[in-house]
Amino acid sequence: MASVHAIPSIEERFEFTSGAKRNLLIGGAIGLALIIIGAFLLANGSGHETAHAAENAANAGADHGATAAQHEAGAAGGHGGSSWMTRIWANIWLNAVYFTGISVIGMFFMSYNYLAQAGWSVVFKRIPEALPSFLPVTGVIMLITFFLGGHDLFHWTHEDLYDASNEGYDAIIDGKSGFLNTPFFLIRLVLYFVGWYFLWTVLRKASLEEDRIGGLTNYDKSVKFGTAFLVFFAVTSSTSAWDFVMSIETHWFSTMFGWYTLASWHVTGLAVITLMVVTLRERGYLKAVNHSHLQDLGKFVFAFSIFWTYVWFAQFLLIYYANLPEEIIHYKERFSGYGGIYRAPFFINLILNFFFPFLVLMTRDSKRTHSILKLACWSIIVGHYFDFYVNIMPGTVGANAGFGPVEFGFILVFACAFIWFVSAQLAKANLIPKNHPMLEESLHHDIA
Amino acid sequence: MAELTGKYLVGVFDDDDVILHAIPKLRKAGVKIHEVYSPFPIHGLDDALGHPRTRIGIAAFLFGLTGCACALTMMTWMLGFDWPMNIGGKDYISLPNFIPITFEMTVLFTAFGMVTTFFVTNGLSPNPAPVLFDPRSTDNKFVMAIEMGKNKMSEEDITKALRDLGAGEVNIKQF
Amino acid sequence: MHVTSPVRPPLVTGGKTYADVTEDVCRHVEGKPTKEWKIAFIAALVVLIYGTACLFWTWWEGLGVWGLNKTVGWAWDITNFVWWVGIGHAGTLISAILLLFRQKWRTSINRAAEAMTIFAVICAASFILMHMGRPWLAYWALPLPNTFGSLWVNFNSPLVWDVFAISTYFSVSLVFWYIGLIPDLATIRDRAQNKVSRFIYGTFAMGWNGSAKTWSRYEYISLILAGLSTPLVLSVHTIVSMDFATSVIPGWHTTIFPPYFVAGAIFSGFAMVQNLMLITRVVYRLEDYITIEHIESMNKIITLTGSIVGIAYLTEFFIAWYSGVEYESYAFINRATGPYWWAYWAMMTCNVISPQLFWSRSLRRSVTWTFFISVIVNIGMWFERFVIIVTSLHRDYLPSSWAMFSPTFYDIGDYIFSFGLFGTLFLLFSKYLPVVNMAEVKAIIRSSSERLPKNISGVAKGARVANPSFNKDAE
Repeated sequence: MASVHAIPSIEERFEFTSGAKRNLLIGGAIGLALIIIGAFLLANGSGHETAHAAENAANAGADHGATAAQHEAGAAGGHGGSSWMTRIWANIWLNAVYFTGISVIGMFFMSYNYLAQAGWSVVFKRIPEALPSFLPVTGVIMLITFFLGGHDLFHWTHEDLYDASNEGYDAIIDGKSGFLNTPFFLIRLVLYFVGWYFLWTVLRKASLEEDRIGGLTNYDKSVKFGTAFLVFFAVTSSTSAWDFVMSIETHWFSTMFGWYTLASWHVTGLAVITLMVVTLRERGYLKAVNHSHLQDLGKFVFAFSIFWTYVWFAQFLLIYYANLPEEIIHYKERFSGYGGIYRAPFFINLILNFFFPFLVLMTRDSKRTHSILKLACWSIIVGHYFDFYVNIMPGTVGANAGFGPVEFGFILVFACAFIWFVSAQLAKANLIPKNHPMLEESLHHDIA
Repeated sequence: MAELTGKYLVGVFDDDDVILHAIPKLRKAGVKIHEVYSPFPIHGLDDALGHPRTRIGIAAFLFGLTGCACALTMMTWMLGFDWPMNIGGKDYISLPNFIPITFEMTVLFTAFGMVTTFFVTNGLSPNPAPVLFDPRSTDNKFVMAIEMGKNKMSEEDITKALRDLGAGEVNIKQF
Repeated sequence: MHVTSPVRPPLVTGGKTYADVTEDVCRHVEGKPTKEWKIAFIAALVVLIYGTACLFWTWWEGLGVWGLNKTVGWAWDITNFVWWVGIGHAGTLISAILLLFRQKWRTSINRAAEAMTIFAVICAASFILMHMGRPWLAYWALPLPNTFGSLWVNFNSPLVWDVFAISTYFSVSLVFWYIGLIPDLATIRDRAQNKVSRFIYGTFAMGWNGSAKTWSRYEYISLILAGLSTPLVLSVHTIVSMDFATSVIPGWHTTIFPPYFVAGAIFSGFAMVQNLMLITRVVYRLEDYITIEHIESMNKIITLTGSIVGIAYLTEFFIAWYSGVEYESYAFINRATGPYWWAYWAMMTCNVISPQLFWSRSLRRSVTWTFFISVIVNIGMWFERFVIIVTSLHRDYLPSSWAMFSPTFYDIGDYIFSFGLFGTLFLLFSKYLPVVNMAEVKAIIRSSSERLPKNISGVAKGARVANPSFNKDAE
């Protein structure tokens, strides 16, 4: 028995090597090159597709919905910049939203673990703790993107919609102007990032101080601020989802959407945490993480991939069943609109995010195996990119969407930057929080 | 449950930790332990006794698959073929609407199938007077049964080993 | 080896031994019914008899004795149904979800909470039967071949989903509960003083002997059952919410309904568990097992789920405005300011504001406050369903069809019936079955007891065990 529980050293320092830095720079450079090539190709080859957008959207379905779709398509083609620029902005926005989610979930995970007095997760706590360091980057990017490309992304930013004398007046959107207006949107955007990041710095500082001086004050403080974050996030997770994603299709609404996005972010964040734990373990770090921890992480990913599916299905079923034009248009567009180009990502979304991880992670042993865990996590990470792709692209680029060098390039750039920031953060502290009051419990975590 | 026959040495322990630590030492000394009985599940007891891991999970999965298939077949046949009905303009076989019942039937079959398997494999059946080595094993004692017929060591040696390892009493039970 | 961090508060106080656990819990099963119990039981029985009479008259005379009208076709019946089935959810949450999360404080309360689940689901189901008006035709809801040719039930209907969901939920919860009872029934069997109780408890104990092999399979299937019950419990209230949300009635058709109903269900269920446990722990002197820590943990969950429900209310309200759909906006404005404003504000006060009082540590550790707020929460959750059902229905699309609902004597009487039924069943349970899961509590003593006795096993106090019969065989 004793040998099973032999605890390796808890003094571990992650080293962000120059080799890793070089690889990330190369990755980022390749991404940038892909974007430039892709943008060049798009700018020279796809201008004529704009006309199709409105036409295809009109075929999209129900009468009322079609008008809405035309508005959205108008946002894509008619106003502002050219369609290839819209696609660039949409890609930046998509990745920024996606990586914001992963980052903020690190904070979410820490907070609910503190609140629930969870002990098992302490040993790898530094991993979720490192994720929110990327938040300022995505926050600034989103702010800039909104200023430069807001008109291409958000239909509601167009002034002529609100002028009753204008031909393009839209009474429904005008009715939303109390919420969807540029100043308020910007205030909210800044508030989210400042609030999330500030609360994270408090927790991070307490965590590092705990490493140095021990004691319980920092633990108690973390529980308090973690709870404060949960209260703040309870509201802002929903409102940010409305702002970042739901408002793109300005007419459409769904009360579930906030929790839907939260579920999507959450499972992606868990998959990233798990993947990082496994990867670090493979590189010789986190020796104190045992198979019980891995199995529990696997369970988390498994359970919340099912939870995401539940939320997805509940929203889909209710809209499908009631078949109200102003709601069903959302799925019509994705299922048969724009010449059906979104049908593939629509199903990829379900397969990668539910069926595959569900089948793969079902058994006990698979959750204890590095390769299978990695496979399932990658499936979810890629799958949820498509989740956001399916939610963001139809309302922005419409029929001009695709999956080419631009998409690959932006994923690469964002991913490299993300890994850079997180690695730098990881290297700043001991990999195991050595004075956490629950550490001993976590080191002996054994669920057999 | 297989019928118990022959002579058994019954070591009665007061403490779950003591019996847990006694097991590997006894097994190392060559004592074959018939089974250990306890009032609650003891973490790590299985591994110590060398019991193989249960495979009831596989049965559960198959039961679930059966339930899922039954539900889908039933609804597809009844509403799609036997008596198609136009309901709200939906397809006769509208898969999204079938998911809730499919899920319920999957859970129902899995749960009942697995519990039945559990009863059968453990030989549990309505039996008001089962044979027990010591009735206190459902209260506060931890009981180790050692079948003399299957052990080469002498009764005295095993008794002594049990006592040395912390057994409060060592009794003999003859069937 | 399991390590418990010193920052965790103990879950069992009084330095209990294993024998103490057996004794403290079995005492009530083995002893004669106390006077308090008898009085309570007779009271519950009287209520039940009164309710049964009302129910009988409802069926005899027809549903016309209820206050329903052409516009408000569902009122107290479905309100009560959703209320009871929601209360049922807490038991499964405690036994399944908290088991998966390895929350040790669940062990002292899961037995009673699961029993509550089962009785609450029975009460809920009774309203389904009631509102059929002709309960003897209830089997029409099942997919059975029938005399009209093979006209099957409509599997596209959420009401049929409900039939499957509630019956699956009831039977799986029952099985889960029973599996948990088996080891404890064996304990009672082995302590039994007379032949009758040994035979009855022994039969239900299924010949349990507590062997290591059985325990390991038992733990394994408990985990799988928990893994199944978790999505099951979500699915049940999800499907209940779909009874409303699949329709196109303003105020009903909203996509957030499924998770929001689940959160509300857990919310009200925990409040009911609090009420039951606070009484049980005093009457049965189980304060060492159901400690203030347990009460505080449950209060935290009440605050959490209450806040989730609050966020859902606000989301609904916001999106009703944001959607620009005038019917939807009207439905919500009418809720807050229309003729049923009092129900709406009762719901808001009880469900959103009152659980926020538990942010105060002294309030959430106060038995009196806990009891009081739990009652308030359940009143609020009843109003929530009433608001959703009645205020959404009472304003029809045609203003000439607008109507109000007022309950009759039989609406109230049939609701009272369910209290009588619930009370009777719970009292029977608390007398004849162990209200605390002995095996599971024993399993956490070592890690979670306030202080450990010198001899953790302790001395068994039962007379027969003090003089065991096997000694004749021995030596």
